[in-house]
Amino acid sequence: MLIIHYYCGTIQISQKEINLEKLQRIASTGIPEGGNLRATVWKLILGYLPPSRDLWEKELSENRKKYAKLKEELLLTPSELARMKEEAFQSNEHNNAHSDTAGPLIRHEISHEDHPLSLGKASVWHQYFEHTEIAEQIDRDLQRTHPEMKFFSGESSFGRKHRESMRNVLLLFSKLNPAIRYVQGMNEVLAPLYYVFSTDTDEKNASNAEADSFSCFVLLLSDSVDHFCQQLDNSSVGILSTLSRLSDLLKANDEELWRHLEFTSKVKPQYYGFRWITLLLTQEFNLQSILRIWDSLISSPFGIQEMLLRVCCAMLLCVKSRLLSGDFAANLKLLQHYPEINIEHLLQVAQDLTPDTSYYRMSS
Amino acid sequence: MVLVLALGDLHIPHRAADLPPKFKSMLVPGKIQHIICTGNLCIKEVQDYLKTLCPDLHITRGEYDEDTRYPETKTLTIGQFKLGLCHGHQVIPWGDLDSLAMLQRQLDVDILVTGHTHQFTAYKHEAGVVINPGSATGAYSSITYDVNPSFVLMDIDGLRVVVYVYELIDGEVKVDKIDFKKTPATTHSAH
Repeated sequence: MLIIHYYCGTIQISQKEINLEKLQRIASTGIPEGGNLRATVWKLILGYLPPSRDLWEKELSENRKKYAKLKEELLLTPSELARMKEEAFQSNEHNNAHSDTAGPLIRHEISHEDHPLSLGKASVWHQYFEHTEIAEQIDRDLQRTHPEMKFFSGESSFGRKHRESMRNVLLLFSKLNPAIRYVQGMNEVLAPLYYVFSTDTDEKNASNAEADSFSCFVLLLSDSVDHFCQQLDNSSVGILSTLSRLSDLLKANDEELWRHLEFTSKVKPQYYGFRWITLLLTQEFNLQSILRIWDSLISSPFGIQEMLLRVCCAMLLCVKSRLLSGDFAANLKLLQHYPEINIEHLLQVAQDLTPDTSYYRMSS
Repeated sequence: MVLVLALGDLHIPHRAADLPPKFKSMLVPGKIQHIICTGNLCIKEVQDYLKTLCPDLHITRGEYDEDTRYPETKTLTIGQFKLGLCHGHQVIPWGDLDSLAMLQRQLDVDILVTGHTHQFTAYKHEAGVVINPGSATGAYSSITYDVNPSFVLMDIDGLRVVVYVYELIDGEVKVDKIDFKKTPATTHSAH
């Protein structure tokens, strides 16, 4: 069964013009390990790769070049930037040690902001130091990402290189999105992408995992990046609105459980669902399970966010009997430390849910 | 990119109460990797304050320092550069470039940082570069009362150093910069 599945997938992506719909259907039943199937399928469905195979090389090369350029613009230290600028304007009048004349060194005036201790908001130095705080937070979080996996953790040059790449991606993202910057947990969302792309059996792809996972990270979050923005919490695009939709979905599918959670044990979605949704379930399951779940999320015709809500709802349904017999404390504990479960079964339940008609309701 | 703060001759509390507020507001922890201090702090409280800015602190002895255990000279390597530190009251004539150049050769350093004159200077000579960060508080010296508070921040980046000179003139902070490169060792042929 798996072998046929593998061939179907490979056949699909070896077409000149890939039928995305067909691919999505196959992918949603799980993409087999091995080769570079998962990496390629994810890139296709997320829209990073175009469906026309002929255009892949061009697209990839352009995107990877763009990424390198962004890194150059935004991740250099102010010293490196200043040095590059001066090398461009190298002139003989510029006083340096190449001239052998002894004597006083020439002082050059600089504009107000262009020195390391500048407190001005517009100063590149000031911005650099602000970002070192973010970079430090990112480093701390990366140390804690999948600590049981050699790929991510430990002091080998291997683990360190991966953490450095992920750090670049997250730091770049934070600079390009000043309204959100970096939020703890983004490291967890990046990890599966970066892992899948780095373990691509195609060497060129694997070595460009940093650039590719940056772009796909942006694509993956494009629908839900507002969840990270605190100011939007109460808005129609914020996390609370999404959580109330989870509630509505549960009500539509199992009113008994919904009633028990909402009213009897008073376990509101924000107590357990916040992390489930903002971090796309990366904190609730081990990496292999996350990859399988993400196959379904990414390839769902409902869209990632809709499918995510369905999976969250299915997670509740799958532990229904324990929840019904639990009080506030027990239920909270259960949902915040979700037990191991058969993932295929979970995804089937999610697939079979009654469509959430509240989606079509006018938001108040 | 390594930032090194060079300052000295504060003469707290005898000749000055504190660093100028405009300097203090800029000197915050987290930005500077090393501090080198030419001497004449003069009291332990100043050392404690400098330690809060950066844990890697090097001090040489000025003639008025309370703590007499600071060394007369110090050398340290930061990146590609060897730095030397000495208060300078020992080098006579005071502030004389040739005498300082001799000290520099003795210490075998690329950059010699000394004080005592309370005047910012930066010279290049055969053996390297000599920098005097002046007095960070503007305290009067044995030579003159006309002293603008000043200090220096060096950005060591590979073979290049950018020296940022911070001076308080008429109540305003003025910042200049100087840059110089170290030539790679002469045994390797230059381009």
